[in-house]
Amino acid sequence: MAYTAIAGFLSLIVVFPLVWVIATSLKDRRQIIQNPLGLPEVYQWANYADAWQEGNFGAYFINSILVVIPTALGVVVLSLLAAYAFAMYRFRGKNALFTFFLIGLTVPLGILIIPIFYQMVSLKLVNNLWALILPQTAIGLPFAILLLRGFIQELPKEVLDAGRIDGCSNWGILRFIVMPLSRPALLSVMIFNIVWVWNQFLLPVVLIQKASARTLPQGLSVFMGRYGADFGLLMAGATISFIPVVIVYIIFQRQFIKGIAAGALSGI
Amino acid sequence: MTILRWQNDVSPVFFIVPALIVYTGFFIYPLVKLLELSLYKWDGILARKFIGLRHYEKLLGDERFWEALSHNFYWMIAAIIVPVLFGLLLAILLSRSSMYGSIIFRTIFFMPQVFSSVTVALIWQWIYNPSYGAINVFLTSIGLEQLTQGWLGDSALVLPSLFIAWSWVHYGFTMIIFIAAIDAVDEVFFDAAKVDGANLWQQFRHILLPSIRGALTTIILVTAISSFQIFDLVYVLTRGGPGDASMVVPVYMLESAFTLRRVGYGATVAIAMGLVIVGFSVLFLALRGIYRDSD
Repeated sequence: MAYTAIAGFLSLIVVFPLVWVIATSLKDRRQIIQNPLGLPEVYQWANYADAWQEGNFGAYFINSILVVIPTALGVVVLSLLAAYAFAMYRFRGKNALFTFFLIGLTVPLGILIIPIFYQMVSLKLVNNLWALILPQTAIGLPFAILLLRGFIQELPKEVLDAGRIDGCSNWGILRFIVMPLSRPALLSVMIFNIVWVWNQFLLPVVLIQKASARTLPQGLSVFMGRYGADFGLLMAGATISFIPVVIVYIIFQRQFIKGIAAGALSGI
Repeated sequence: MTILRWQNDVSPVFFIVPALIVYTGFFIYPLVKLLELSLYKWDGILARKFIGLRHYEKLLGDERFWEALSHNFYWMIAAIIVPVLFGLLLAILLSRSSMYGSIIFRTIFFMPQVFSSVTVALIWQWIYNPSYGAINVFLTSIGLEQLTQGWLGDSALVLPSLFIAWSWVHYGFTMIIFIAAIDAVDEVFFDAAKVDGANLWQQFRHILLPSIRGALTTIILVTAISSFQIFDLVYVLTRGGPGDASMVVPVYMLESAFTLRRVGYGATVAIAMGLVIVGFSVLFLALRGIYRDSD
């Protein structure tokens, strides 16, 4: 019990700011000034409607979804295909190719932002959501390939041999044996990328200048500057931007944490 | 592991090609382009001029760059101490699977990790606000009004204040890795130690610490690497100010390239930052290799 009490006390450092954000999002101006730390007396749901429409969070929300889905799917599909070949087959140049992908693990996306910007200028993709999708898919691949390759290598040999004996093609083995068996690892990669891409901030700051193409974190930061005094609206916007990812996290926390731990602990 | 013989339908390289195209086009190409840009003087619009390694010479004598880099190093050292210790403490507390509510607490403590850094910035902007922020309101209410500060506006306090906000997120990462490592230790060792009358410190020193050494290496190096990538929080909360008091290398890179329109120089700053990070990554891989050999 003593340990539970200590943990409970320490958890206030997370719970308190979180409750405060949500409570403030439901207050009107008067309540925010008179009762800044308390719970709302009257629930001001209008803050959410205002943030969604006038604050443009509806549009930001849709943009974020439109970036996250193709990126996460792209990473999963492309890395599964590559990891399958790397894990199960011998071919010329395999090690060199794999090492080539590993370069991506040592270079963070941030340092590439300047050339990426001018690349998108020449492709005429500035202010286009593809400017966010393509680089994030590319930078997501090395880790996903590494993780999935490791997973596929550990699959039981007998099952794969059975597929071979039954006359499966290379494609068939991937489609009917490897892919279903790899579902936990694929889910890890997917969840990890969804959360990461949903929160990405640097890329949109540089690549999206048009208000209508902003994603949630970027929209929120602009909103902070412009409506910084309208706390109720601001906190409603913040809640809109973190609720989906918190839900995804709570449902899939095992896979998400596994992804993080695998990223940090997997031997290369 | 299984190595299958390839059947004569399509080459295995075929499966790698799609990933290779995206990776080469949107990761390797910008990387090569970055090296090229650093050799040119360019404002981003007009014709660029080849100047060789002049930007690198300039970087060596650029006091603003060195100050920003020193802030990143300060950050790194603080990061290796504060969130790592706090994460370890929580992991020891929560990895007792018998503890009531252990799983729920894990979920809560890790939650800041999934917030966007803008949300985190918003929360801490409120906590640090000089007039209605949580810290100053609290200090005033307990009669310590003389201790209230403009936490983000004071050049002596801004960097530690930003660091605390960042630590509020990062400890969740260290905690989760420590928990994974501690859970992997066989309970039998602790039971045996208890039977032998080992106290908590001895259990920690002789059982726990040796078995989490690998995790500790990982955490310290990942933490060190992320200290050089601090961008979002600083950019949203202070943009490196007041003055250059909280300027860090990634923000300086962006300012050079896009605000001051010195694209080539910004690229050079990026490369310097990349070299530090790659240095730590190589060190990391080497140390992991050592631990794997000795396993």
